[in-house]
Amino acid sequence: MELNVAGIEVKIGKKEIVKDVSILVEKKKFVGLIGPNGCGKSTLLKGIYKSLMPQKGIVSLGDMDVLKTPQKKVSQQLGVVGQFNEMHFDLTVEQMVMLGRTPHKRMMELDKQEDYEIMENALKQANLTNYKDRSFLSLSGGEKQRVILARTIAQQPKFMILDEPTNHLDIRYQIEILSCVKELNIGILAALHDLETAAHYCDYIYAIKNGEVYAQGTPEEVLTSETIESLYQIKCRTYINPVTHGLGFAYGM
Amino acid sequence: MENGEAGKKGKLDRYFYVMMLLLFGLTILSAVYSVSIGQVNIPFKQSMDIVLHMITNGKLGSLDSVQSNSYLNIIMQVRMPRVIFAFLVGIGLALCGVVMQAIVQNPLADPYILGISSGATLGATFAILVGFGSSAFLAQFGVAFGAFAGATITSFAVFLMASIGGKLTSIKLILSGVVIGALCGSFSSLIIYFANSAEGIQTVTFWTMGSLASSNWSKVPIMAVVIILGCVIFLFQHRILNTMLLGDESAITLGINLSAFRKIYMILTSLITGTLVAYTGMIGFVGLVVPHITRGIFGADHKRLLPGTLLFGGLFMIWADIISRVLIHNVELPIGIVTSVIGSPVFIYIIVKRGYNFGG
Repeated sequence: MELNVAGIEVKIGKKEIVKDVSILVEKKKFVGLIGPNGCGKSTLLKGIYKSLMPQKGIVSLGDMDVLKTPQKKVSQQLGVVGQFNEMHFDLTVEQMVMLGRTPHKRMMELDKQEDYEIMENALKQANLTNYKDRSFLSLSGGEKQRVILARTIAQQPKFMILDEPTNHLDIRYQIEILSCVKELNIGILAALHDLETAAHYCDYIYAIKNGEVYAQGTPEEVLTSETIESLYQIKCRTYINPVTHGLGFAYGM
Repeated sequence: MENGEAGKKGKLDRYFYVMMLLLFGLTILSAVYSVSIGQVNIPFKQSMDIVLHMITNGKLGSLDSVQSNSYLNIIMQVRMPRVIFAFLVGIGLALCGVVMQAIVQNPLADPYILGISSGATLGATFAILVGFGSSAFLAQFGVAFGAFAGATITSFAVFLMASIGGKLTSIKLILSGVVIGALCGSFSSLIIYFANSAEGIQTVTFWTMGSLASSNWSKVPIMAVVIILGCVIFLFQHRILNTMLLGDESAITLGINLSAFRKIYMILTSLITGTLVAYTGMIGFVGLVVPHITRGIFGADHKRLLPGTLLFGGLFMIWADIISRVLIHNVELPIGIVTSVIGSPVFIYIIVKRGYNFGG
């Protein structure tokens, strides 16, 4: 499914955080958002999945006008892996992942065998099969994040938004999560911090600065020393990593 | 592998059904025990016969063994409505407690948290010490009306205050509840300060301790309708209640706008709590402790938690009532004292116990 964001504008209170941003994610492409802290990446994503209602602009997913469609209908197509938030009550991993079926259920509908199979598959894809009966709150950060990912997979979305999904995770979990997402073979829009990761996984990158698109293109086009220096206000040289043959970055102040 | 998984799910379901059946059996036995004790002690066997006879309309349970006709009257006219009343009150408090905890995403919530208790107390205090004047209709219901009106008006005020600025979030709800509660509390104090009726002040004090003493058959129907309706509605809300545990941000991505559901749930629970408070006064701790105990047994998934909590709430209340009647010979303690005395140590135990994470 194709995500098309046109001229979106999001305010928090009176402050304009996202200014006239347009983004296109073609079918089954992995598109990254990069930019410094506070540049409006998260707010932009929230505007797209309507956690914050945009003041202006159009968001369309396939032929659905996201901003004018009921939330339930949107979430049948669009899954979100957000930044982790605190929970005061505990659920088992199984119950947590089953919640992903919520958008597909009518008010009084019970869980069917099919839902349990979808849940089991989601657990398998997120490499969590043995975690089914564990309590969610007892898990480590990386495990929690994988549970959230499994829940989003159980939602069977046609498109997925990830808001810094690998924050605080060690390198192994970072790779596990992003590879799992990539294997889903659906359209992805992800805010990422690590530039090497972005270079490795993304088909296309938007660089955001002060709530506007500063640069866009393939990783090789966007991740240049000049763009990075201007985005993050640091000195940077890029090179080809001799081991991975991917883009590498050397930073200094 | 496939078989093993299916077997595991079956085992969990079986655990749930066995526990529910156990709770149900215990409730029936406790109810029979409850009707058999009092100033006149009726042997358990005979009470069982009378109750069975009544429930099955004479098909089971023979009255031949019953020694005195007065036993029948005592059980049918006095003690039976009281047990049913206690059971319903317990269910209602537990239901509102569990829903409130989900609404405000806070394990410390209880049915009274959003200022309802202070509102009801203000209403009752007003009714007792000032009165509704010459209006015969209002005067007839007096305290019950005052408490119900106080409870619903305050929760409506809390609701309006928390809605300022659009979204109804849990933190705004709690803060509004505290503010409006404090306001109502000071008005109650004001009325008491200027009242010159020692008897009236004593009545107010007793009212705040809660009591089931006024229960009789004529009050059961209204209570039953309100509680059963509430239960039926909320038993089907387990999906939304579960997403409430995740918070607004996650719920939105699952297609659910919590703000809207919080409003509906709050209106429903305040009507139920208002009715409870009107009939029984303030009965503390049940709505707080019972959901936590059942979370320890069934986990935090509302699909199992809700039915378990309701049944356990009813059972808890039947026993609180029994204890309030037998603890001191020939004295009936206010039930609110009993529930708090049982409730606090249980709650402390839950908190101290290692491994309890409010569900899971």
